[in-house]
Amino acid sequence: MEHTSPFERIIRGVLIAAVLLFFLFPILWIFLMSFQTNEQVLRIPPSLFFSPTTINYTSLVTGKLQTAAGSLDLAFMRNLGNSVLLSSVSVALALVLGVPAAYAFARFKFPLSEDIAFTLLSFRFAPPLLVLLPLSLYFQAIGLDDTYIGLIWVYQLIALPLILWIVRGYFEDISPDIEYAYRIAGHSWLQTFTRIAIPLARPGIAAAGLLAFIFCWNNFVFALILASADKQPVTVGALAFVTASGIQYGQIAAAIVLSVTPTLALALFAQRYLVEGLSLGAVKG
Amino acid sequence: MSEKAKDFFAAFKAGRMSRRELMSGAGKLGVTAASANIMLNAAGTDAMAADFDWMKFKGNKLHLLLNKHPYADAMIADLDNFKKMTGMDVTYDIFPEDVYFDKVTAALSSKSSQYDAFMTGAYMTWTYGPAGWIEDLNAYIKDPKKTNPNYNWDDVLPGLRASTAWNGVPGGALGSADAKQWCIPWGFELNSITYNRKMYDKAKVEPPKNMPELLDTAAKLTKDLGGPYGIGVRGSRSWASIHPGFLSGYANYGQKDLTVEGGKLKAAMNTAESKAYHKMFVSMIQDSGPKNWSTYTWYQVGTDLGAGASATIFDADILGYFMNGGDNKEKGNLGFHGFAANPNAKAPTPNVWIWSLAMNSAGKQKDAAWYFMQWASSTEHDMFGARKMDFVNPVRSSVWKDEEFRGRIAKSYPGYVEQYDVSAPGSKIYFTAQPLFFDVTTQWAETLQKMVAKQVPVDEGLDQLAASIDKQLKDAGLG
Repeated sequence: MEHTSPFERIIRGVLIAAVLLFFLFPILWIFLMSFQTNEQVLRIPPSLFFSPTTINYTSLVTGKLQTAAGSLDLAFMRNLGNSVLLSSVSVALALVLGVPAAYAFARFKFPLSEDIAFTLLSFRFAPPLLVLLPLSLYFQAIGLDDTYIGLIWVYQLIALPLILWIVRGYFEDISPDIEYAYRIAGHSWLQTFTRIAIPLARPGIAAAGLLAFIFCWNNFVFALILASADKQPVTVGALAFVTASGIQYGQIAAAIVLSVTPTLALALFAQRYLVEGLSLGAVKG
Repeated sequence: MSEKAKDFFAAFKAGRMSRRELMSGAGKLGVTAASANIMLNAAGTDAMAADFDWMKFKGNKLHLLLNKHPYADAMIADLDNFKKMTGMDVTYDIFPEDVYFDKVTAALSSKSSQYDAFMTGAYMTWTYGPAGWIEDLNAYIKDPKKTNPNYNWDDVLPGLRASTAWNGVPGGALGSADAKQWCIPWGFELNSITYNRKMYDKAKVEPPKNMPELLDTAAKLTKDLGGPYGIGVRGSRSWASIHPGFLSGYANYGQKDLTVEGGKLKAAMNTAESKAYHKMFVSMIQDSGPKNWSTYTWYQVGTDLGAGASATIFDADILGYFMNGGDNKEKGNLGFHGFAANPNAKAPTPNVWIWSLAMNSAGKQKDAAWYFMQWASSTEHDMFGARKMDFVNPVRSSVWKDEEFRGRIAKSYPGYVEQYDVSAPGSKIYFTAQPLFFDVTTQWAETLQKMVAKQVPVDEGLDQLAASIDKQLKDAGLG
């Protein structure tokens, strides 16, 4: 049984509080900023006490931003919708393609299997700008330029390697004997995959899906280069608050709060899977 | 709009009625002030249409790439008049400035025909033009079949026309006889002093007349105000830190970035005069600039002035203009002052940034795109933007003579018009046009950072900078 002295407990508590403060204070500060006007944000010295206003959120939702230069149209809610659409459809497609592929790489030995798997992983190594200009030319030629389908296709460069490699590790950790036993009972390969392998690998799949979603959500450059303004995600849209006539700090903070909410909610929902899935998939015994 | 009201505004445009008669008559017809503005501009559009076949490309659909800027807002507010006059449809993509030029470069370099025309700065055309990504607009401006007879290209300020024209020869003079007109000036900013009048009154100082005075004034403000710092200038590692106040003062001392000898370029930042100017500038930032100056861009310089964290900026006049309005804490407290850095100079020599319109070479409907460009840069639209929107600074001399526009600015931005009148004659691009522009200026900004941080003495830093730039020029076959 472990014994800790009161002094150690106090020190531990203080250190934990300090770490929490260090990491959470910026988030708290942004949250507070989202309820302040620009003038309140820019007070010298800054203050924790203010009369809260919801005008920043109202501007984002209504699409009208008041600046020094007058009223500007905002497309933030459309940007938010684009992010949800692009990230969720891209991850769903990557799961449909990546999970069977991960299973194949984990269970079957076939020529060039490692090379193919590594090639897919190498998509993560290349700087996006290196491939974007050629991609832009190809997309123009085949009519995928400035389309959601084209973007979702390109987002596979982010989502597919992540899902494939994380889920592969997880499949490899599951004993094949369980599947053999099920097959001996007269079930097909497909039944074994859908009724045994996938349910057992579900935490790993959830963790990989969540990570892929976060990476897709945070992507900036793909849509910027390949699509027009009406298809931009929040990462590009949030820059609209930095205008020649000034920076709208309150609206930026409100936009951050709104754009973090979906991923935060998803992460909290899948937290159990995330920890379990990542740790089991990553460690080989 | 009733036919009677339309005729009424058309009569004013035709010069058959004074403005006083117009406003009085409009009131009698029950036309509100806001409606009157739109009707007046619509009447102007009708007048433009009188002598030119604006309907030639009826049914075409243009697509524009725009930066999120008050100039673009002014154009969008007036766009229905263009659509009505031409029968064309116009759609646009607006991107924030932080990413705007990445988007432009990607679209142009991939030869995409998605955009017919787009906003650009003159410096960028030094890359886009020689690469064949944009059109030489002389072919359009000089063709009476393509350009309406009222366009009056000569009305555009000569320094701006010249600054947006280059012959493509590294070191070639801007606006030379063989220059190609890569873009049309649309709106511009020149660099001068904007100061906080309340703070200046409190510290009992006058706006500085030259660089030595600026150093003293900024130091006194920093010392006496007990919080705000004396002078805000940009400092990030970027070309954008060199081109505003810094280069305007530098040019006022007769200094150049590069010299051209026998068609070869050579760095000119390490002359004795240049070193003396750099020492003053560096000392000014060290003594009276913001603490984290090396991160300062347009946004930080402006925000500090608007929030009362700084007393002065040596930057774009329109940055001060924006900070004197909106919900800024110091709204209404700012003053404007033309600034000749060199005590021996007769007048200011502000370097300029010119938001311009350029035509995509890969576009499929260039003549139609030119119709839009000539309308967007017309006197009528320039006047509308200047009078009713924040299209400041307009690029046409006739607009600057307009009493309504001058009166509006004088009322809300005291000293702005005077600052402009003093600064405008000497305002143009003072950089040498050449393809390594962004490399040279970025390295210059980096060296300035090292000098301010005392990592390298000014003399030594400039010698190193000149040697490095000479090598780059030589490697590129330019030096």
